[in-house]
Amino acid sequence: MLTVVKNQIKVTLLSIKYGLMRQMLNKTTFITNIIFMLLNNASFILQWVILYSLKDNIGGYTFKQVLLLWGFAAGTYGVSHFFFKRVFSLSDIINTGKLDASIIQPKNILLSVITSDVEASALGDLIYGYIMLFICDISISSFLLFTLFIICGGIIMTSIAIIYGSLAFWFNNTEMLADTGNSLMVNFATYPEGIFKGVVKTLFYTLIPIGFANYIPVQVLNDFNVFGLLAVLGVTTLILCMAIAIFYKGLKNYSSSNLMSARI
Amino acid sequence: MNEEKAIRVKGLKKTFKIKLKEKGLIGSIKGMFKTKYKKINAVNDISFEVDKGEMIAFIGPNGAGKSTTIKMLTGILYPDQGEIEVMGIDPRRKRKQLAYEIGTVFGQKEQLWMHLTPYDNFKFFGAIYDLDERVVEKRINELVELFEISEFINTPVRNLSLGQRIRCEIAASLIHKPKILFLDEPTIGLDPVVKENIRTFIKRMNKEYKTTIFLTSHDVGDIEKLCKRIIIVNHGEIVLDDSMDNLKYHYLNKKIVEAKMKEKINLDDEEGITILKDKGYNLKIEVDTTKRTVGDAIKLLDPDKIVDINISNVPLENIISDIYKSGN
Repeated sequence: MLTVVKNQIKVTLLSIKYGLMRQMLNKTTFITNIIFMLLNNASFILQWVILYSLKDNIGGYTFKQVLLLWGFAAGTYGVSHFFFKRVFSLSDIINTGKLDASIIQPKNILLSVITSDVEASALGDLIYGYIMLFICDISISSFLLFTLFIICGGIIMTSIAIIYGSLAFWFNNTEMLADTGNSLMVNFATYPEGIFKGVVKTLFYTLIPIGFANYIPVQVLNDFNVFGLLAVLGVTTLILCMAIAIFYKGLKNYSSSNLMSARI
Repeated sequence: MNEEKAIRVKGLKKTFKIKLKEKGLIGSIKGMFKTKYKKINAVNDISFEVDKGEMIAFIGPNGAGKSTTIKMLTGILYPDQGEIEVMGIDPRRKRKQLAYEIGTVFGQKEQLWMHLTPYDNFKFFGAIYDLDERVVEKRINELVELFEISEFINTPVRNLSLGQRIRCEIAASLIHKPKILFLDEPTIGLDPVVKENIRTFIKRMNKEYKTTIFLTSHDVGDIEKLCKRIIIVNHGEIVLDDSMDNLKYHYLNKKIVEAKMKEKINLDDEEGITILKDKGYNLKIEVDTTKRTVGDAIKLLDPDKIVDINISNVPLENIISDIYKSGN
């Protein structure tokens, strides 16, 4: 069992390494993508600088907390899009029969598919996340907690994408639905929780679980509480298990395709 | 399970549900409220066995159910009904275990990473099949020699010609020494010289490693030169399962006579003689030797007026085409 896990990790890391090598084929594009993502994220902070010059508290968040929220949002996005980029095109992969290559290999199908490419610009998000953290707090404990939370957040975001993507096993044209669902996870993640009320807030702890990926981590890093930490770990495990179960249930409906394709 | 059997298939069925849509925008709107489906029997109750080390052609027209069958045998698709054993393993239950026993090459789908060199790809495939570094190196050397790929082993796959790429695809699928190799149109899009090379490599592989070959192809050359047994499927059913020799023997009662004449002659179809082509001085006729002799046909042409003559068997391509059309 241990050997199986070890071999799976080896192949996954090799796959990510090869994905990174592909992105690095063009050095200029690779570096530009990362730098532009950093600048893109930084430009959004400007609007918060202006807003906080008018008001000290927005939706229960101080400026420092908003920076931290951005740190978590960028870090979470970075983890999921760098390591599991292909999960965001899972619908297309299923519809065009590109799962075949992974099914005939003696490794975990889902992991093989979603780790078969990386997104260079997501490295910019990851770096940006840590910059935001260091602006707010420099300590080993906050660094470790931040790292743990962005890994959990990345897994939550990836799991949600697996669930949306897996709908393609049962329905046609689900790409747009999956894109919208994934975008919602990103779009709402950078606003203070307090500005949302009622149903919308409930959504953040159910269908669009940014509450567990971003809001609770901000609270825990600000004022440590073990229940918050356990809630994030628990929900991450639960959503991941759900996503895996749905994917493998759907796989039995997989109909492949004879479209010509290349692994690029 | 019989120890000598590489593949055992019994009563295999697979149905696809296809959404039906009436034409035009109105049809699309209607479809939103009431969806109609049509069931397609892609594979309908097929049974066959393949011996270990056998090279078998599994052919049929487009949409006959070949790829669906291969995909069920390799664990890609779940069958609706029936039993499958590949090297004694049920692909539905033990996909990973089966993967160590089989290799698969889809001519239309690439498995190699395009930006990596064949060498890096082979190393990656070695890791997928849990092979030790030293074992992979040794195996790469063997495959490089067998498939003559040393010249471009360090060239990124995207820069290789189609023929070189297919050789690498087949080599990569053999890195773990599979006992069965599934080849789905391996020579598609290749020129005749490269096709011939690929066939030689496949033959050599079968001879050296005793690998069972399960081949689908629309290229009659592949079938004729590689396989001793042929299974023809049409409309999801097996319409012929016979040795290549038997297939040819049954059709040997028909001969093709091609003659170049000194002067034009008028000839009409007769019992046992069919005019296939009549271009004045050039004639092509088919003789059914159960009804007429080749000599009869030559007499009809008038031997004194024949400049050149060629008598041959019906090409395998025509035999297969006839079987596709007749359905059995």
